[in-house]
Order: sequence, then C-alpha cells, then structure tokens
Amino acid sequence: MRSPALPLGIATFLRRNRNLALLAWGGVFALCLSSALLTARADDPKPTPANTIHVVLSEPVPPQKFQLPVKFTVVDVVDRAGNPQPMLVTNGHGAIFVDRLPADIVRDAIESSLKSADLLAADASSADVTLGVYLFHFGLAAGSGGDYFGKVELAVTVKNPKTGKSQQVSASGTSISRIAMLKKNAMKNLEENLTGALGDAVRNLLRGQALRDAVTKTMAESSTGN
Amino acid sequence: MRSHFIFAVLAVALLAAAPARAKDSGQKFKTVEPKHFDRAEGVELSTDFNDYLYAELRNQLQKTKLFAQVIGEGEVVDDADATASVVVSGTLTEYKKGSVAKAVLIGYGAGSRSLKAQVNVTRRSDQKNLATLEVHVRASPRWTEKVLAQEAARELAKQIKNSLQHESAS
Repeated sequence: MRSPALPLGIATFLRRNRNLALLAWGGVFALCLSSALLTARADDPKPTPANTIHVVLSEPVPPQKFQLPVKFTVVDVVDRAGNPQPMLVTNGHGAIFVDRLPADIVRDAIESSLKSADLLAADASSADVTLGVYLFHFGLAAGSGGDYFGKVELAVTVKNPKTGKSQQVSASGTSISRIAMLKKNAMKNLEENLTGALGDAVRNLLRGQALRDAVTKTMAESSTGN
Repeated sequence: MRSHFIFAVLAVALLAAAPARAKDSGQKFKTVEPKHFDRAEGVELSTDFNDYLYAELRNQLQKTKLFAQVIGEGEVVDDADATASVVVSGTLTEYKKGSVAKAVLIGYGAGSRSLKAQVNVTRRSDQKNLATLEVHVRASPRWTEKVLAQEAARELAKQIKNSLQHESAS
C-alpha cells in the first residue's frame, strides 16, 4: 500500500495523520461557510415589523384649481432610482425599511390627493390627462451628519390620451429632521422625515405652475384638434 | 405697601404688553417661495449642496414665523395672496474650501471654510425688490460643507426676517 513515489517517512506521516488533515480541512470549510453566511446576512438585511416604518400622507395634498374641468389618472409609477433594495431606508440601527415599495407609496399619495379634490378619473378610459410617474429618488440623501435629509424626486409625463401629445414635469420634495440615537426614535424621525418629503414632492407636483402649464397646453391641443 | 403697589402695576403693564408683542411677531406674509440658488463661476460645491441649502432655508424660514406658508419652488399662489407673498432667490458668489493645516497651525479663524451669497427678496405680485442681502458665513474646515449650508440658511433667515420687518414697519 506504500506509495512508491514518496519516501517512507512522509508516507507514514500522512497515513498516521489522515484524520487530523481531514479535521483541518473540515474546519477550514466550516469557517468559509460561516463567513459567507455572515457576509450574506450583513449585505441583505430583511424587513420585519420591528424595523419597518409606514410612510403615508397624513392628509391629502389639496391640488390647484385648473381653468378647465380635468380628470387625471396615474397610469404608471416606474422606479428609476436604481436602488437594489428599494425598501431599505438606512443601514443604521440594524437597517430600517419602508413597508411598501416606493413606487406604491408615491402612487397612493398622488391618487389620494387627486381623489380628495375629485380630480381622479374612475378609470383610465375616462381620464382627460394621464400621468406617467418616474421616481428618481426616494429616501435619504447625504446630510450634514447630524440630521436625516429626506428627498423625493419625480419626473411626470403629462399626456393627453386623445391626441397623444405629452409634456414633462418635474417635482421634488425635501425634508430635514434630527438624527436619533435610539432605534425607536430614529424610526419615528425617519417616518416623519419621509412623509414630509413625500408630501412636499406631491404638493410641488399638484400645485406646481409646471403642471398647470402642461395641462393647459395638452387640453388646448385637444380642443383645437391638433 | 407702596412697593407692592408698584410691583402690581408693573405686572399688569407686562401682562398688557404681552399680547401686543405676540401680535407684533405674527405672520406678516402669506407665502414665501425660496428658490434653488444659482452658482457663480468658480464655486465648486457638491451637486447635493444646493438641494440641502434649499431644504434648510425652507426650515429656517418656517421658524421665523413671519410667513404663513413656505411653499415649494414653482408652486402657484392665489392672486389674492400674491401681494403678501415673497420670493427668495440668490447666487452663491464665493466658496473657499479652507485648509485644515492652516486651521491647526495658525488658528484664530485662519483656514476656515467660507461661503458668500447674494440674496434678493422680491414681492411676488409686482416683482418689487424688497431687500438685497449679502451673507458671508464661515465654518471649520473639519466640518462638512452641509454644516456651512446650515449656517448660511440660519443667517439668511435671520437677515430676511430683519429686513422684512423693517420694510413692513417703514
């Protein structure tokens, strides 16, 4: 059984310590596995009820009054932020998440505000103007280090479905709130912060001169038949 | 007995003056619309800086209690409110990054970060210029530029409040 390629001493040593070598390789394998698991866990925290905040407008934003009677519908809200974990707000305090996708939060905020002023069409076919929303930022941006700087940035395509003409409108909302040491307070502050930034962005959109101009232009094109 | 009477008179006078003082510091303007500041050539700040300064300025203007509402950029205002509404626009004219080495070796404010801004406050209805302000703030070079934005926003809000109070008084 002795290997002819190996000298007698080495072959004997290997045979005698086979169990030890196996144990060492097993240890190395276990170490790699546990480090891989820990890395995966650190990179990919999961939302639970204990680390999730609920972002929703406390009250709908009253939209501006338009010269012509107009009904809107939100056709699409596309998240273009390019965030691999869109629901993750911050990695601090063992990670804090929002309870819904940002696109759903924004859609809900715009639709509830339009509905409150009776400007939301019952369905897409009965709408005078469709809104296609592109979400470019939702969440925290780099602040001073002593605060949470919440930012929501939207680009909205205002389209007349009858003529197919469209206009682009952008809107943004910001909010600054104090940083907190305790997780409970941090979650509360972040919830207020993101709700504030969301409300600000929706307000900036629905009460913006840009939306008024876009709607006026698309409706005028519709009435003149262009 | 006489001292008690004087004390009582003073207390009544103070109590009577309190509501008048509260009324005086009430909201004089319906809305204020701060705009994102422009940058002069050579002002090298991060892209986020203007957004942060804008957000902080909105916060600070709200705290002055001079305005009923701080509206976002480009929002419509009712015609009835336009005369009592102002727009704040401005330009960041100079930014010096500062030097930590100078701050450590020399001290006494040497090597500090600094920011200069020129700000115009105009009435919304007729675009009348109500105030032109120059703001110069400094901060330690160890702090981030966002801290400079906080300082600038605080100083701006203070100066806007002072100038508008003088404007409405005259």
